[in-house]
Amino acid sequence: MNEFFNPEFGNKVITLTAALVLVLQIAGAGQRWIVTNIRVFGVQSFLLALIAGAIAVFNHAPHLFIAAILTLLVKAIAVPIFLERLVDRIGIHQEIEPVINAPVSVVICGGLTLVGYIVAESFYQPEQTSGPAALGHNMLAVAVSLFLIGFFMIINRRTALTQVLALLSLENGLFLATISLTYGMPLIVELGVFFDVLLAVLVLAILVYRIRETFESMDVSRMRRLQG
Amino acid sequence: MTQGFLKILVQLILLLAVSPLLSGFIKKLKARLQTRRGPGLVQPYRDLYKLLRKGMVLPDTASWLFHATPYFVLITAATAGLMVPMLSAEAPLGLFGGVLAVVYLLGLGRFLTALAGLDTGSSFGGLGSSREMTISALAEPAMMLAIFTVAIGANSTSLSEIARAAIGQQWRFLAPSQMLAFVALFLVLIAETGRIPVDNPATHLELTMIHEAMILEYSGPYLAFIEWGAAVKQMLLMTLLINCFWPFGLETSWSFASVLASLGYLLLKLMALSCVVVLVETTNAKMRLFRVPEMLAVAFTLGALALVSTFLF
Repeated sequence: MNEFFNPEFGNKVITLTAALVLVLQIAGAGQRWIVTNIRVFGVQSFLLALIAGAIAVFNHAPHLFIAAILTLLVKAIAVPIFLERLVDRIGIHQEIEPVINAPVSVVICGGLTLVGYIVAESFYQPEQTSGPAALGHNMLAVAVSLFLIGFFMIINRRTALTQVLALLSLENGLFLATISLTYGMPLIVELGVFFDVLLAVLVLAILVYRIRETFESMDVSRMRRLQG
Repeated sequence: MTQGFLKILVQLILLLAVSPLLSGFIKKLKARLQTRRGPGLVQPYRDLYKLLRKGMVLPDTASWLFHATPYFVLITAATAGLMVPMLSAEAPLGLFGGVLAVVYLLGLGRFLTALAGLDTGSSFGGLGSSREMTISALAEPAMMLAIFTVAIGANSTSLSEIARAAIGQQWRFLAPSQMLAFVALFLVLIAETGRIPVDNPATHLELTMIHEAMILEYSGPYLAFIEWGAAVKQMLLMTLLINCFWPFGLETSWSFASVLASLGYLLLKLMALSCVVVLVETTNAKMRLFRVPEMLAVAFTLGALALVSTFLF
C-alpha cells in the first residue's frame, strides 16, 4: 500500500495521463466528425478529473477532490451531453471543414507542443523529485501546449460550434496548469470558473443556434457582411 | 562458432515455421469475431504447400527482376528477422547491424517488390507500386522517430542492447515517451503489414488494393515465397514491437530452458498483440487511400513527440 501511494509512482501516473490528454487534444485537432470531437473532449475532461484526483491522493491535497468531482460532472458529463443534444437539434452531421487540412494541422500541433516545452523549459528543476516543482515542468508544458493548440483550433475552424469546443479544450489547459502548479485555486474561485464555463457553453449554444437560424449556416465567415 | 550457427538455425526455423501459423491465427480470430467459422489454423501451410507444387505462369514481358524478387523478399525478411531479439535478448546476428539494418533490409524487399510490380507492364502492378511507395515513404519517418526514441533510452541502436535495457527497467513503459512511441509504431505496423484501415489483405478484387496489386502477376512457387516473406515480415515487426516495449519473460541467455521459457512468453504475447490487431481490423472500415496520409501524419507527430519528450520528460 505504501509502495502504491509514494509520490514518485504518483508522478509517473500523472505524467502519463497528462501525455494522454495532450494526445487527445492533437487527435481532436485532426478529427473530422463533430460528434467524435465532442466525445474526445469528454474523455479528455475525464482524464483531467483523474489527474486532479491523483494529485489529491498522492500529494495530500484533499480540496482538489472537489475540483476533480466538479470537472467530472460538468465537463466530462454535462457539457458533452448538452453539446450532443445541440448537434442533434440543429441536425448537422456533415464533416468539419478546417481551413488547413487535417495532416498538416496535426503536424502544426506537434510544432506547437514543442513551443510549449520550450516555454516550460525554465521551470525544469531536476534536483526536486516530488511536489509541484517536479510536476511543474511537464504539466506546464502540457498545459501551454493545450492552450496553444486550442487557439490554433479556434483559428482553424469555420463553424461556431467547433470553435466553442476548441475554447473548452483551451480552458482544460488552464485548469491543468492551476491544479498542477498551485494545487488548485481557492475553492470559491474554482466554483466561479466552473459556473463560468457552464454559463459560457449555454450562452454560446444559444448564440450558435441563433447564427444557424439567421444565416442558415454556422459558418462564421458569413458574418462579415453586415445586415441592416 | 558452431554455437552461433546453432542460434541462427534455431531462430530461422522458428521464423519460417511459426510465421504462417501467426497469419492463420489472425485470420481465424478475425473470422470468429465476425461470427464466421473461418479457415483452420494450418490453412496458410496448406496454401504454401499447394503453391510450391504448382506450375507458374510468367508474363512475356517479365525480365530477370521479376524472377529474382521473390527470393529477395523471403531472404531479406528472414535476414532482418535474425537481427531481432526473439528467443533471447541477444539476437543471433546482433553484430551485423542495428535496427537501421532491419528497417532498410525490409525497405530493400519492398523496393524490389515495387520494381517487379512495374516490370510486368500491367497497369495494376504499376498502380500498386506507386501506392506502396507513397505509403512507405510516409510510414518510414514515423517508424524511424519511434525507434530512435527507444534507442536513445538504451544508448544504442543495436536491438539486443535495446531489449536488454528494456528488461532492466520494468516500469519504463509507463513513461510518456515510451507510450507515444508504442502507439506510433503500432500505427506503422498496421500500415506496413497492410492491415485493414490501410489495405485489405484478404482481397484481390478491389481497385483499392495495394500490396496485392503489386504481386498480381505472380503465381506458383514465386507467389509462395512472396507470401511467406510477408508472413515473416509481419511476425518480425510484431516481435520488434513486443520485445522493445514489453519484454516480460524475455531471457538474456541462450540456455535450453531459458529459450523454451522465452518462446512460451513470445507466443503468448504475439497472440495478445494479434488480438489487438484483429480488434482494430474488425472495428474499422478501410480508409480511403487519400485518408491514409492523415493516419501516418498522426503516427509521425506521435513519434516526434515521443522523441522530444525523451529529452524533456
